[in-house]
Amino acid sequence: MPRQLALNTHISGKFNIELENLRNSVLTMGGEVELQLVETLKAIRLNHAGLAEKVILNDLKVNAMEMQIDEECLRIIAKRHPTASDLRLVMTVSKAITDIERMGDEIERIARLVTKNKLPASEMIKSSMLQIGENVVEMMRGTFDALARQDEGAALEVYEQDNVIDADYKKLLTFTAQEMQKNTDDMQDWLEVLWALRSLERIGDRCKNICEYVVYLSRGKDIRHSPLENMQTKLDQLI
Amino acid sequence: MLKLFEHETLDVHNLGDEETAIGVKDLSLQFGQKPVLQNISLRIPKHRITALIGQSGCGKSTLISSFNRMNDLVPDCQYTGGIFINGRNINDKREDVSQLRTQVGIVFQRPNPFPMSIYDNVSYGLRLKGIKVRRYLDDAVEQALKEAALWDEVKDRLFDSARILSGGQQQRLVIARALALKPDILLLDEPTSALDPLTTLFIEELMAGLKKRCTIVIVTHNMQQAARVSDYTAFLHQGQLVEYADSDTLFTMPEFKQTEDYITGRYG
Repeated sequence: MPRQLALNTHISGKFNIELENLRNSVLTMGGEVELQLVETLKAIRLNHAGLAEKVILNDLKVNAMEMQIDEECLRIIAKRHPTASDLRLVMTVSKAITDIERMGDEIERIARLVTKNKLPASEMIKSSMLQIGENVVEMMRGTFDALARQDEGAALEVYEQDNVIDADYKKLLTFTAQEMQKNTDDMQDWLEVLWALRSLERIGDRCKNICEYVVYLSRGKDIRHSPLENMQTKLDQLI
Repeated sequence: MLKLFEHETLDVHNLGDEETAIGVKDLSLQFGQKPVLQNISLRIPKHRITALIGQSGCGKSTLISSFNRMNDLVPDCQYTGGIFINGRNINDKREDVSQLRTQVGIVFQRPNPFPMSIYDNVSYGLRLKGIKVRRYLDDAVEQALKEAALWDEVKDRLFDSARILSGGQQQRLVIARALALKPDILLLDEPTSALDPLTTLFIEELMAGLKKRCTIVIVTHNMQQAARVSDYTAFLHQGQLVEYADSDTLFTMPEFKQTEDYITGRYG
């Protein structure tokens, strides 16, 4: 059965605080990146270059957070020799921050559409892109919530949301390719749009990775590279 | 499937007799009216290092001492159940205890060299067995000291008093004394708790080498040491065996909350 981690029950009060801070820091970093995407979508909607510029600059903050959290993980491993659920928490945080940092990079790429004035001319493409973006924000929110609560059930639900994002992405990709064929003059601009769409889809994949870590954190089982239906079966067998 | 890392794990709960060095079956032990061990059953694999961990007073030292009947020396000690070594129940009253202690050596927390020379310390057990041939004793002393990684440090002063050795050297001398009798099993009861971290690492390295030639059971309070050196770990709590598994599993994903609380330093 999954066991809720009680971070505040160590005999060492200082260790309790260190683990609690570590968990809070990854959630803060996640929240920061989620906000970055919300701001980027707003910048696209309003075609607001200043707002997009702010997002790009803010990615430096996310990068710095990754380095600090990484350093803290190393420090805890070296000094505390964590075991069992404590070790899994440190490993989960260490891996999750890599995904979160990459999400930040993807968001930066999307924001550059606005600063470079490369937003798609087609309202249809723009609104579909925003719709995918909203779904990705929803997925990010669910992912970080599942991580905060170490809720493997919630993590698997969020994991499934990526199917919707992937399907919408493929549809929009086909539509965009058709539009490109009609208007081949601005090929460079089209490529920028395609990259941005790809970035949105990749953020969904990063969320999936973090959901897998949540299951690992909760159960100690590595479910990466398993189809979703197998995952639930694997987990059911463990109960 | 491509295997990048090899970690051997035996199913210690279904170990065959051939693979078992010590088989404990329903062992209960009490000192006077005080129960210390309750219904312990486990099989310790041959040529592996098995660690016993648990809080002070949980019975781990009593359990390890049962493996060569050291508890017989405690007045009012009573026990039921069996401990099987090489197919014999050593708890059988007819068991030759001095022969058993030759086969199952023990090393304690504080190095306890006898007040005699290094040579006499190592050859003591052999002399007690009646071996007097000098050449045989010389060879046995040299081999035991080499196995205990002490030979190079003492070969030129074998007849100096053992008391002049450092703590780490004394502990290795005591190990050499046990090894000279060519035991099948070596019991180590907190062997490094009185030693500095570097000397501790030397003793741990020594243990890793020794398991090729005998089975090692170690009691330790040092969780990192148990994780570092042992292949299998048994966690005891209030005289009961809570969990017994390969150390990789026990220190990453213990099955029971009590084990988790203990190894992660939580109050249970």
